[in-house]
Amino acid sequence: MVLEATMICIDNSEWMRNGDYSPTRLQAQSEAVNLICGAKTQSNPENTVGLLTMAGKGVRVLVTPTSDLGKILACMHGLEIGGEMNLTAGIQVAQLALKHRQNKKQQQRIIVFAGSPVKYDKKVLEIIGKKLKKNSVALDIIDFGEEDDGKPEKLKALLTAVNNNDSSHIVHVPSGPSALSDVLLSTPVFTGDGEGGSAFAASAAAAAAGGGSFDFGVDPNIDPELALALRVSMEEERARQEAAAKRAAEDAARQEKEGGEQSSSSRDATMAEPTNVLDPGTDAKGPDTMDDETALLEQALAMSMDDPRASQSGTASMGDTDMSEATHEDQELAYALQMSVQDTAKDSSSQTDMSKVLGDQTFVSSILKSLPGVDPNDPSVKDLLASLQGQTEEKKEDEPPKEDEK
Amino acid sequence: MACLHDHSCEDHDCGSQWSLYKHIDIPKVSALNEATAGSVKSIFKAWELRLDTSKIDAVNMCFSDKFSFDINGNTVLGFLESNEGDPELLIFIPFTCDVKIKSISVVGGADGKSPSKMRAFINRDNIDFSDAQDMTPLQEWELAENLQGMLEYQTRYSRFQSVGSLTLHFPDNFGGDSTQIYYIGLRGEATQLKRDVVATIVYEVMPNPSDHKTPTDHGGGMSEV
Repeated sequence: MVLEATMICIDNSEWMRNGDYSPTRLQAQSEAVNLICGAKTQSNPENTVGLLTMAGKGVRVLVTPTSDLGKILACMHGLEIGGEMNLTAGIQVAQLALKHRQNKKQQQRIIVFAGSPVKYDKKVLEIIGKKLKKNSVALDIIDFGEEDDGKPEKLKALLTAVNNNDSSHIVHVPSGPSALSDVLLSTPVFTGDGEGGSAFAASAAAAAAGGGSFDFGVDPNIDPELALALRVSMEEERARQEAAAKRAAEDAARQEKEGGEQSSSSRDATMAEPTNVLDPGTDAKGPDTMDDETALLEQALAMSMDDPRASQSGTASMGDTDMSEATHEDQELAYALQMSVQDTAKDSSSQTDMSKVLGDQTFVSSILKSLPGVDPNDPSVKDLLASLQGQTEEKKEDEPPKEDEK
Repeated sequence: MACLHDHSCEDHDCGSQWSLYKHIDIPKVSALNEATAGSVKSIFKAWELRLDTSKIDAVNMCFSDKFSFDINGNTVLGFLESNEGDPELLIFIPFTCDVKIKSISVVGGADGKSPSKMRAFINRDNIDFSDAQDMTPLQEWELAENLQGMLEYQTRYSRFQSVGSLTLHFPDNFGGDSTQIYYIGLRGEATQLKRDVVATIVYEVMPNPSDHKTPTDHGGGMSEV
């Protein structure tokens, strides 16, 4: 919110016909000037901006410092290219224009676009710089366009002569895909002394980048109602998902208490943070088309959402994987798991499913193969599998009495 | 003209005479070509402290031995120094009320860093160096090196009767790299009156007689236009 009067010095010399900054260097400067004017007046409404050209027939002041943006934009049209840039005269005329500003309380600042080669030597530039510093005028130099030998050093010398307390800056903009104005947005020329300037820069950058910096691709400045509506609906959706996830977590936790299996509960913990709505239809896919863990996650979720069809297949696969994991640890544990899994699924069809799946030797061995540290050809594992299959047959008869015991 | 105090200062209460610093609008004091922004505010203080160059707490205007910082986080020096290699200084001093200035005292730095000339302008805001060099000052003095603060320079009192702001221009020094000023003292009276500022001016392209009625118009029986 610094109160400032700014004079912008544009280079309209012959070098500005070049197209390495699209569309031409002069056009790139015009856009940058537009952005600067906007930023300055937005950060403080009493700021004023003026414009002058340094080349052509001579240094010419187009607009004296004013807060009327329309005047400045109008002057930018019809700028003619020609001649050579006169940097020292340009800066001195800018200083004079600032001296006669209407509001003497404003700080003085000059912004120079140095696109063509600098033909003055360092000494002269340093004297100019000292004079600016003495009269407390800040200077921003934008070095682009021609890359001369010695141009960066000369401009650097000018900057050190002027710089008082870091109020002056220099920016080097190489030619490239991004526009001159876009590169400048992130530099101290815009963000320098005021926080208001950076807010403008942020919104301008968002507009330029297609709304990337805003949550919903909509600039709240441009369309506040739409942005608000989007945000409210997003939050409602998120709340609904969180409620669903909490319910799912509670259901799964209740079921797992009987089983006492740790890995499932950890999976339930991850299940409690769904970031997108899961499609129960995906559970119908065969597990071997998906990652084991993903399948398990989604099936557990589907289970807790009380989808009977999905839950059974989920139970089957979950029980399947659980048991495969446990097989190489403890047979008793595997047995207990099997029981708990069976308890949750009360239908006989679930038994059938499970036994069918278990009976599919190839499937089970493929599952085992994917587990680290389990060798399906290990005889103990093979025995276990055989015994499990046998137990499955028994379970059908033993299940009712077992339930009575529980 | 300079004069020395021809008495022992402990008996005679000199400090009370140099009390115009209390009427200076310190936040609005500014200087051009100072090396540290804001250091000019530290040179207006009580006469007893004129030789004291310890750090000043710019906010509370009290002295401390520790480093103190102004709003921008810069160390506030106890004196004013110009930029390296450039001895010129321009100090703008606004007052909170109109004052009459009888004399001015300036304490400079050693080794040729004292100012050698002083030019004064009154009631002009926003003079810069080119203006100061071109305009004729209200009064000009040749200064001597005054490290103890005993020298004072008298003004042509009739010209300094209602001073709303004082601008002092020090164009040169005694040969040092930069100019240092530790203290500026002002002696005089404060009138407690605020200088009239013209708040709004309305320009008329064509006069409207109804705005300019005077009592004589009615009594004189003249017809209204």
